[in-house]
Amino acid sequence: MSATKSFTINRRQILQLGALLGGTAALAACGGPSIGAAGGAVQATDRDWSGITPAKEITWWSNHPGASRPVEEEIIRKFREAHGIKVNLVTAGANYDEVAQKFQAAAGTDNVPELVGASDVWWFRYMINGQILPLDQLADHLEFDAADFNTTLYNDYEYNNSHWAVPYARSTPLFYYNKDAFKKAGLPDRAPKTWDEFDEWAPKLADKPGLMPLGLGKGTSWIAWWFCNMLWGRGGAYSEEWTMTLDTPEALAAAEYLQRLVFDDKVAAIAATDYVADFGAGLSATTLASTGSLSGILEAAKFEVGTGFLPEGPRGAACPTGGTGVAIAADKTPEQQLAAGMFLKFLTNSENTAYFSSNTGYMPVRTSARDGDIMADVYRKQPQFRTAVDQLETTRVQDWGRVFVPNGDKELTTALEKIVLQQADPASAFKVASDAITKSFEQNVKSYL
Amino acid sequence: MATAIDVRRRAADTAPTLRRRRKPWKSWLLFLLFAGPNLALLLVFTYKPLLQSFYYSTLQWNIGSAAAMPVGLANYVDWFTDPSTPRVAGVTLVFTVATVGGGMVIGLALALLLNRKLAGRGLARTVVVAPYVLSGVAVGLLWLFVFDPNFGITSALLNAVGIASPDWYNDPGAALWMVIIVYLWKNVGYVALIYLAALQAVSRDLLDAASLDGASAARTFKDIVLPLLGPTTFFLAVTTLLSSLQSFDIIRAMTQGGPLEGTTTMMYQIYQEGFQTGRAGYSSAVATILFAVLLIVTFVQMRYIQKKVHY
Repeated sequence: MSATKSFTINRRQILQLGALLGGTAALAACGGPSIGAAGGAVQATDRDWSGITPAKEITWWSNHPGASRPVEEEIIRKFREAHGIKVNLVTAGANYDEVAQKFQAAAGTDNVPELVGASDVWWFRYMINGQILPLDQLADHLEFDAADFNTTLYNDYEYNNSHWAVPYARSTPLFYYNKDAFKKAGLPDRAPKTWDEFDEWAPKLADKPGLMPLGLGKGTSWIAWWFCNMLWGRGGAYSEEWTMTLDTPEALAAAEYLQRLVFDDKVAAIAATDYVADFGAGLSATTLASTGSLSGILEAAKFEVGTGFLPEGPRGAACPTGGTGVAIAADKTPEQQLAAGMFLKFLTNSENTAYFSSNTGYMPVRTSARDGDIMADVYRKQPQFRTAVDQLETTRVQDWGRVFVPNGDKELTTALEKIVLQQADPASAFKVASDAITKSFEQNVKSYL
Repeated sequence: MATAIDVRRRAADTAPTLRRRRKPWKSWLLFLLFAGPNLALLLVFTYKPLLQSFYYSTLQWNIGSAAAMPVGLANYVDWFTDPSTPRVAGVTLVFTVATVGGGMVIGLALALLLNRKLAGRGLARTVVVAPYVLSGVAVGLLWLFVFDPNFGITSALLNAVGIASPDWYNDPGAALWMVIIVYLWKNVGYVALIYLAALQAVSRDLLDAASLDGASAARTFKDIVLPLLGPTTFFLAVTTLLSSLQSFDIIRAMTQGGPLEGTTTMMYQIYQEGFQTGRAGYSSAVATILFAVLLIVTFVQMRYIQKKVHY
């Protein structure tokens, strides 16, 4: 074998290569998006749903939030009994992001399901991509009783006077505390009502070596979610519609407060991997975790767990909502969409809402379910669950800059991690995030609206 | 088979003539039969996506959307002017140099060790190579526990000798070294395996001759073994560099590119932008830039390093 074999190419070979590349380029141009065509959301059109016969079989892509596969299968079984329509339940990922990634990658193919999980940070993208159907007309025709949905949870999916999904597995952050640790520190058996009160209590908890008064989590889809509480509670917001508002004194004060807890008072720390596990193991005395983690925490903790509302800021209570709804794909026949709508109504009716909620720990999304017998039984057995449900009254719809702009949550996560891990200057960290989100809005959202 | 030999013989008979004779249709058929399936697979699964990716990199396209806008080279301009690009490029460089360089050195050292007649050599060889065949995701998830600052074995060991554990998960620098260590642990067995095979092919005669001439072990290694390993080193340099620049699974399982994008390599950025942020055009542009980097680095290796290799 020669070390330096010369590589020459003649005219014929160049032509052959050109033909090969040209042919492949022509192949490459097949498929993919159409260029310059008007994109954007599907327009609501007047369709007479009464003349349509529902399809006999539909598919639902879910990640079975809260290990709910058996619950979903049971609801599907009952639906088939009642309406004769088969629903294929497909595990389309381990979390909301994975379901969304598959749904977006499948766009334009035959593999799109009729029903798909639409989490609070993804449904808007489905909408501007024209992938999901505005539901109001279909919901009217099928008599969904939308007024019975929790208002905040239902309106999370509203844009341009249309609703694009219905709430399904919804959660809020909750304040968890270790009752034993509180007792030893001589604190009352309740969550602090305000952050000021937490400031007073924290040094007493910090007295015990190896115990961090407040353990917090980081990472995308998380840190910027619970920070809503501190931000809104101080009168700040990530954005006002599409305008970023992280340069306001209120927003900066919220970030500075978080820094004070971590770096000056040393009463809060960001967990290395799993803040829930750290709390369960007794490393932190309190934590902010999702209501969806309630069952897991109650199981794992070797101490008595207390729950309370997220502490209030100087401007009052502030709590974001999260979790997923379910949407109907636009790229399907009216027959399939009608069947999907019928299932959606069944899935979120009062009885099934209570059934799902009582088995998973997610919020009951309907008022009638919240106040019904099944949930009353749950509250009796798990009083902590009642806190989460009561806290729903204080929730508000999320800031668009975080949930509607493609890189919104990611940029805010980076900014908040800089602030809380590296003690970066909040103003400059927020500026970088705001600039990036504004640019992404201009490039990736504005032209589709 | 007879046909194939006939065809070749006939071709050989006519080879000296200056004018190229048209190959008979049978030989084309044979070519298509053998090369066709592979060629088709390559076209559909390698070249088509590659060219499609070039094309998408010129679009402003949200993945999932049926429509896109042509933007020329704007995605490339964006990447080169983005404030996070120097960090991503730096992380990629450190990760690649550490995993390729570290992997070659440790792999060679292990191979030298395993080439000796030691007790339990068979078992040791298996132990060294085993991690290479494990799934990267499983390896990443397991090492998450090893590095856990509260419960992990590394912090227990470091604490035992009075050193505080680095904050592997919250400090971007420590996190990068963490994924490098895990990558090395998983992949060094491959380098050791290939080196071991090459070491066993080194002629005993040469080593005996060197020993008769009174060469020290170090001298023998430097002037005889290492040069003879040249082709293997070259092969490993090319293949490990390519796989290091394309590594994804361990980062995905352990850090998801964080904290603070401290473990976001270009490869991970392609995934993040394409599927998490959903900017398919921008993601394709990063992929194209990475492709160009790989092409240039491989070309440089072939052109300059290969010259120094003795066969």
